[in-house]
This record gives sequence, C-alpha cells and structure tokens, in this order.
Amino acid sequence: MSGALLRAGGTLKPGLPPVFACLGLLLVWQLYARTLSVGGIPDALSTVRELPTILGDRESLYDILDSLRRMAIGFAIALALSVPLGLLMGRSRLFAALVNPLLMVSYPVPKAALMPIIMLWLGVGDASKLLVIVLGVSLPIIYHAYQGARAVEEKMLWSASAMGMSGPARLARIVLPAALPEILVGCRTGIVLALITMITSEMIARQSGAGNILFSALDMAQYETVYAMILVISALGILLDVAFEYVRGALVGWSEPRHDLAPIPA
Amino acid sequence: MSALSRSEGLIGIVPILALLLLWQAAVSTGMAPPALLPSPLAVLARFAQNMADPAFLAHAGITLYRLFAGFLIALALGVPLGLLGATNRGVGAVLKPLVRVLAPVPKIALYPALILSLGFGDASKIVLVVADALFPILLATYQGAAMVEPKLVWSARAAGTSRGGTLFKVILPATLPSILTGSRIALVVACIVVFLAEMITSTDGLGYVLVRAVRNFQTVEMFVPLIAISVIGLALNGALALARRRLLAGFPDED
Amino acid sequence: MIAISGVTKTFQRRGGGTHLAIDAIDLDIAEGEFVSILGPSGCGKSTLLYIVGGFVAPSGGSVSVSGRAVTGPGPDRGPVFQEFALFPWKTVLGNVAYGLREAGLSRRDADAKATALIATVGLKGYETFYPKELSGGMKQRVAIARTLAYGPAILLMDEPFGALDAHTRLRLQNELLQLWERDRKTVLFVTHAVEEAVFLSDRVVVMTRQPGRIKAVVDIDLPRPRRRDELLLNPRYQRLVIDLERMIEDPPEEMRA
Repeated sequence: MSGALLRAGGTLKPGLPPVFACLGLLLVWQLYARTLSVGGIPDALSTVRELPTILGDRESLYDILDSLRRMAIGFAIALALSVPLGLLMGRSRLFAALVNPLLMVSYPVPKAALMPIIMLWLGVGDASKLLVIVLGVSLPIIYHAYQGARAVEEKMLWSASAMGMSGPARLARIVLPAALPEILVGCRTGIVLALITMITSEMIARQSGAGNILFSALDMAQYETVYAMILVISALGILLDVAFEYVRGALVGWSEPRHDLAPIPA
Repeated sequence: MSALSRSEGLIGIVPILALLLLWQAAVSTGMAPPALLPSPLAVLARFAQNMADPAFLAHAGITLYRLFAGFLIALALGVPLGLLGATNRGVGAVLKPLVRVLAPVPKIALYPALILSLGFGDASKIVLVVADALFPILLATYQGAAMVEPKLVWSARAAGTSRGGTLFKVILPATLPSILTGSRIALVVACIVVFLAEMITSTDGLGYVLVRAVRNFQTVEMFVPLIAISVIGLALNGALALARRRLLAGFPDED
Repeated sequence: MIAISGVTKTFQRRGGGTHLAIDAIDLDIAEGEFVSILGPSGCGKSTLLYIVGGFVAPSGGSVSVSGRAVTGPGPDRGPVFQEFALFPWKTVLGNVAYGLREAGLSRRDADAKATALIATVGLKGYETFYPKELSGGMKQRVAIARTLAYGPAILLMDEPFGALDAHTRLRLQNELLQLWERDRKTVLFVTHAVEEAVFLSDRVVVMTRQPGRIKAVVDIDLPRPRRRDELLLNPRYQRLVIDLERMIEDPPEEMRA
C-alpha cells in the first residue's frame, strides 16, 4: 500500500498539462524565432496564421484527407493480419520459432525505404502506398500481440478446453481478450507508425499527400508552408494519440494505461 | 530469443530460406522480369562485391557515424532526464506533459525544419536521430526509475547512503534493465531514421546509395543498402544482447 | 531508546479526501527490548515502523531515538523488509558489504567482515550467488546479514518472515532469537502472526484498524532463553496466544462497512 502511495506515479495522465506544454512549446518557438531571427525561420504566430490558408485550400485539404484515408485502410489491413499472426505465435512455440527470425531481420529495415522498389512493381498508385503502410504498421502489432498471448495464464486455457472449447475458439474468446491491453499498446505504436510511414513514403514518391506538400514547399522555399505543414502533421500525431487513448480507456479501462516504449518509425 | 533452444533457433532459418527459394523460383521461371526483381543470387553477389568496395564502405561508415552520434546524444540526454523526471517532482511535472505531447509527433516531419536551420550536412541528420531515439530511452528510463521498489532506496538510506547518492547507487543500477530495453529500441529507430533522412536529402550514406540506384534504374543495387542496414541492425541488436547478459547477470531473465 | 509520541499519518486518497492511517500513537521502547506490533492487515503497523525508520514522515507527532529527533533514515536503525529488498545487481557478498563500504571501510575489510557475517547466518559458500539464485529463506538471511553488517543499535523488522513457508519461518524465528540473545539489540518487529509475536517478544503492542490505534500493550512474561517445543506446552504461553488472538479478531466483513 505505502509503496503505491509513495511512488511518483508511472503513468502519463491526459489533462490540462499537455495543453500547457503545447502552448509553452509554441511560446519558446516564438521567442526563439524573434530573438535570433535566423535565416528564414518563421515565428510561431505567423505559422499559425498560415494554417487557414493550407487547410482552406481545397487541393491540399483533399491531399491530406486522402493521406488519412490510405492510412486508415492500411492500418485496418495490418490489424486484421497481424493480430491473428501474433496470437498464434504466442500460443505456439514452434510457430514463434519459425517466424521470429524473419521478423528480427526485417525489423531494422525502414519500410518506407521499400517504396521505390514497390513502386517498380505496383506503380505509384494507392496500392504501393497501402502496402508500405501495412508493412510499416505490422511489426509492432505482431510483436505486442505475441507478448500478450504468451502471457495468458495457462490455467485459463485449461478450464476453457475442459469446457469443450475448440482451439480456434479458445484463441478468439480467451486469448484475444486477455491479450487485448497488450495488443492496444502495439496499436498505439502502430498509429504513430502509420502516420510516419505515410508521410515518408509520400516524401519519397512525391506524388500527392501531406508528405508531398511538405517537401514541395521546402523545394520552392515556401518556408511558412513548410512550418505550417509540420504543425499540421504534429497535431495529427498528437490528436490520433489522444483519440486512441480514449478508445483504449473504453475498451480496457481495467488495465493500467501504458505508454509504449517502442515507437519504431518505418 | 534467449529462451529458445538451439534447435528452435535453427527452425527460424526455414521461412527465410523458403522465401529466398520462392524469390529465386519466381525469377528463374520468368514470372518476374529481372529488371523488376533481380535474383537473390545476383543481389547477394553484388552485396559481397560491395563489401569489398571502399566507396560503399565509406557510405556505410558515414551512416554508422550519424547513427552512433545521434544514439549516444539521445542516451546522454534521455537517461538523466528520465531519472530526474521520475525522482524529482518538479522535473516530472514539466517533463511528463512535454513527453506526452512530443512523443507521438512524427519526428521525420521536423526534418525540413532541421534542414532549414542546420543545413543539409550531418548536423540535421544527427539531430533527427536524436529526436527519434530520445523518446524510447527517456520513456523506458522514466518508467523503470518510477517502478524501482522504494524499499531498495530505503535499505540504502538506512545503510548510510545520502539521498543524492541513492540516485547513482540504487536508482540507476535498478533502472539499468529498462535503460537497455529502451536503448535496444532506440538503436533500431536510429537505423531506420538515419537511412530515411539520407534518402530524402543526401549525397552520401546508405540511404543515398539506394536513391542513386533508383535514379539509375539499377534494381540489383537497390537491394544492397537495404541488406546492409538490416545487417547493421542485427549486429547492434546482438551486441546489446551481449551487453545485457554481462551487465544484468543478477536480474531476472527477460527476452 | 525509542520514544514515539502522538504520531499520526494521513494519506491523500486518489480522487481527493484523506485517509487516516494511524492515529495518536504513543509508545516508548527501552534499550535491548524486543517489541512486536501486532495487528490485522491495513492497521498501519508497517507505516508506524517506516516512520520510526525515517522513511516516511509523520503527519503529526514525533519520534526520537536516544533523545535525537528522527528526520530521516540512519545506520542506527536497520530495516529488514518482508520483500527482502536485496539489490539484484549485487552478489550476496556485495549486498552484505554494501553498508560497510558506505561506512568507509576499504573493500578488503568490508569483504572480510561481510564474509564472516554470511557464515553467521549460515550461507557460507554462497558469497558469489545473486539474490535471484537463492530461496526466500536464504534471501531473508542475506537481508538480515546486510542490515547487521553496519551494526545498527535498533532492528526494524517489517513482517520479515511473512513471505516464507511455514517451515522456513519457524527456523528463521529460532535463528533470529539466537542472534538476539547474543547481542540484545533493540528490536521493533511488525507481524500479524500471534504466535510469532508471543514467541519472540518482551512486549506485544496490539493495534486496531482504521484508524490504526494502540488497543493494548501486553507484557510477555515468559522466561528466556525460549524454546519453541517447551513453550507450546506452557499454559502461560497458551493463555497469551489465546488472549491476543481474541484481541485482534476482526469483526465480520458485513459489520465493517
């Protein structure tokens, strides 16, 4: 009891402080740009003022929304493939031994870097970008589903089979819910990753999307747009994180919130 | 991995070999034209050839330099910040909301800003690596330090250790497993980020080698830097696992 | 030796409000006395021990040891915890030598003294083992040796045998008593086991729950040195155990709410 009370508190709670943190960061930026006024860095205020121009522009807004659409689809596909794979790994040592080295080899490879090769095969359309996002998001979800399924108590499964539950039913009705908090930790990483992969692949493909706007603006020396896009993308990252935290709270409010330690960009 | 027996470790080679065979078959049967998908043998041969090429090794060296510089700076920042954030209420109150806001920001989006203020050279890439590698280390250190059993600290205090002394004599060693876990993730992150930064704007490094191959439509050459970064990541992971076994002899096993 | 006067402790509740853990505790413990604090779980008996140790600050009242007010931990009061709290990154030798090194002894002197102490607690040959390689009973012996090493005048024992199996528990009780007979340190011993308290102590302090208050102080007038098999047949011992058990008997669940 005393231990828990005396501890500093290991979780990062949402609330007002993060809002202050955002404002503080903007303030630091403003002061920095104003006092140093180094080559071409716009201050926070003029960047914020630039936001309506970008978000009001039909074409760039559609570009950003299109990016988000691809991201959502890619994430959904990755989820549908990775969760069963991870759960199976967690319940079968042999299967885990088979798959693990393959995952380890592919871990340090930047998935967005596969974009040029995938574009050779699938062209520059949606398919390439979706595939890259799926690849980028999958690893952490597989990993956490694996860890979650591995930690499921053996006795819970014994009682389930004693009740006559079949293998697949046990996986879906016992292992999945028990591993859900851990899977969601993977999903949180996955969401950030989806965003990163999306932007990076668009930077590399230079066709459309948020990443493309960002780097085209850089090429054309439209620095206000560059900074405004950075702001938009950062806000997307933060908002997705907050939204996810709400979903997580609703799904597994019984488990302690946990910040993942593995935000692996792709 | 450590829990796996040797035979189980060997089984893992099967899918990798199968994948390579499938790839070779697709090329040999003419299903995939070599211009789009070179044979794995050709790729491996080119990889071996490049490993003896000083120019290629120089690119790999530059990538490694940026990777390590960024990782070490992130380590030097992340560990003290995490320890202080967990042990000092004031620091924690400032640090927690900042981390909450900054951790989910896709750092690669900051890269253009880094280029604008630091130029196209090493500095902007290293800072990007720092920005990405910092959070796994910081979060792991923070969580590890916040979970240190208070009675360990009490035992040391009762034995005569000063309050400040417990930070180095108790909290830091007790947090070491978490720090190593965070470092392992940060190293993978660093591999990925440095490669991407080099792809986006660079004249050297492994990422640049890939971009150059793309520009010249040299399909075989495209695979080589990808293999190189994978090998680097695996080697770093192995080195860290070794360090873990050495440093954490007294801690419960973990994989 | 230990003077506890008017000590209270309130904790902040999660989501507001306060919780009174212990209320107005007055207790004096003489030098060389073995005193147990007995009470149901959640009565704040461990919290009281932590306050004496200087690990937790009281919300009110004060504790003094040998006339000096307690403001923090110090090597005059050595804790032994139920959770052992050994340093996992140090070997048995490293754990036991820790306090000696902190006291400024050279590595050689500290190691020599620690090795002797490890033998005293019956763990000769285990010097290079890590805590994770030891059983619970062995871990607690190491923890006791680590605390004895820096020579505290007072031992603060927080349910030290609570995490051990029944057999190990009895053995360690006997060994603790032997150690105590030898150098008669002042001991404050927290437990919820009646027989353990009676077997070991000169006095037993019975606490109530919510808030933690002293309900009674019982003198254990049993002759020393004590032997467990003799005591079990001693009617005075039996009487004390029965009386104390009645005293700490909890009201049933539904009456508490």
